[in-house]
Amino acid sequence: MSILLRVTGLQVMYGPVSAVAGVSLEVPEGEIRAILGANGAGKSSTIKAILGLLKARAGTIEFEGRPIHRLPTHRIHRLGIAWVPEGRQLFSTLTVHENLEMGAFARGNGARFHAKLDEVFSLFPRLRERRAQVAGSLSGGEQQMLAIARALMAEPRLLLMDEPSLGLAPKIVQRLFEQIQEINAGGISILMVEQNARQALKIAHYAYLLEVGRLVGEGPSRELEASENVKRVYLGG
Amino acid sequence: MELFLQQVLNGLMIGSTYAVVALGFSLVFSVMRVVNMAHPEFFMAGAFGAFLTITYVTRNVVGVLVGGMAVALAVGLVVERLAIRPVRGRYVMIPFIATSGVGIALQHGAERLFGSDPVLVPPVMPSVSYSLGPLSVTRMQLVTLGTAAVLMLALRYYVRNTKWGRATRAVAERPDVAAAFGVDVNFVSRLTVGISALMAGAAGVTIGLLYTSAWAFMGLLFGLKSFVCMLVAGNRHIEGVMVIGLLLGVLEALVSGYVTSTLRDAVAFGVLVVVLVFKPKGLFGSYDV
Repeated sequence: MSILLRVTGLQVMYGPVSAVAGVSLEVPEGEIRAILGANGAGKSSTIKAILGLLKARAGTIEFEGRPIHRLPTHRIHRLGIAWVPEGRQLFSTLTVHENLEMGAFARGNGARFHAKLDEVFSLFPRLRERRAQVAGSLSGGEQQMLAIARALMAEPRLLLMDEPSLGLAPKIVQRLFEQIQEINAGGISILMVEQNARQALKIAHYAYLLEVGRLVGEGPSRELEASENVKRVYLGG
Repeated sequence: MELFLQQVLNGLMIGSTYAVVALGFSLVFSVMRVVNMAHPEFFMAGAFGAFLTITYVTRNVVGVLVGGMAVALAVGLVVERLAIRPVRGRYVMIPFIATSGVGIALQHGAERLFGSDPVLVPPVMPSVSYSLGPLSVTRMQLVTLGTAAVLMLALRYYVRNTKWGRATRAVAERPDVAAAFGVDVNFVSRLTVGISALMAGAAGVTIGLLYTSAWAFMGLLFGLKSFVCMLVAGNRHIEGVMVIGLLLGVLEALVSGYVTSTLRDAVAFGVLVVVLVFKPKGLFGSYDV
């Protein structure tokens, strides 16, 4: 299986503070992989470094074997990487439809756009009803759907999801993780950051454990779920 | 009543150019959180561009408009590269100071080139007046109002209905996310400053023609008043800035007509103080810095 994304020895600084201190990970084509860890473990910083929003101080990031850590963010996106940011970060003054158009910004508005729009609406039917509303007026669950739908409109090969379940009701979280699996089954590889380790391990093939910017463990989800140490630290008993 | 209507009409002519200049100011601020203190110099560059075009190229009014706007655009792109792009996203005072510096350099550069006295911008059309019942309006006033109206409608269409207009709104709200969806934020910065310069340049051309003069420091008062329009309206809605620009022109004309013309230039700042006491974010709301 080919490796889509490979991060090697990544270091990220926030001013004088080290946020990521030498993290290596990879995402093989077709898999869901998760990064687990507490607040401030460096999960979001890792995602932002992959996107070029934070500069890698050391280490390399390769996408399909090509180094991307010196490219500007908009060029990285055009290689096939889309982002579902923490806390949705929708364009809240734009309508639902305009947010989806922004998702397809690099793709254009041709026939493919309309086909993709139908596909996204069949995954999230609620968004079709709300397409003329401004994004800021949606409920939390709908906003998360839109954040994912916006990223799907870019037809990415790799989806970076930062805390997709944050702030959602348990019933919605359940459904959300099913939808993430459906997206993955459609051929999109996913790198997901989650605090909800129990749910993440259920759908991820493989996971990385991060603590204060360092990788402290990794393995297939099934093995991690069974490990006593992981149970105690990440699954709350 | 006739005096009143005539003053309202005169006010709308000037007010429409305040609105056009204020819109560019507000567009650049809301997209990049940059108070572009060199913006009034785009207006000045437009007036000198008109002077140069008339002197060396053509007296055709459309040609003069295009010439003035081209000079303003060139100045705008230089300002963007020197004083806006390198400091975009920094604390708001930093681009404020950088653009102030470039603005002062542009004023004194123009003074070097054209002298400190106003230069004559020769008229490009016969001074014809039309009468609308008891009111009269000159052809040049109609050109001024028409140019402003076309520019305002074009800007509104661009921001609302085009792909790059949508990207511009996205950058205004979340530059990082827009970049992560493939928008080149530096290009949006150039585009936005370029548009603001074209608009201010066109206003400079019409004001230059209306008053038949251009001079190095003409941007100061006009630019300050446009800045006031943006503060009074708030920068969230371009329609708000348009309305306030028009109203300021009308209010100034009424004060000149009924009170005294020496108070004319105080109107804008008086209104600003009153509005900011009650609505610190402007009448229609503002983006936070």
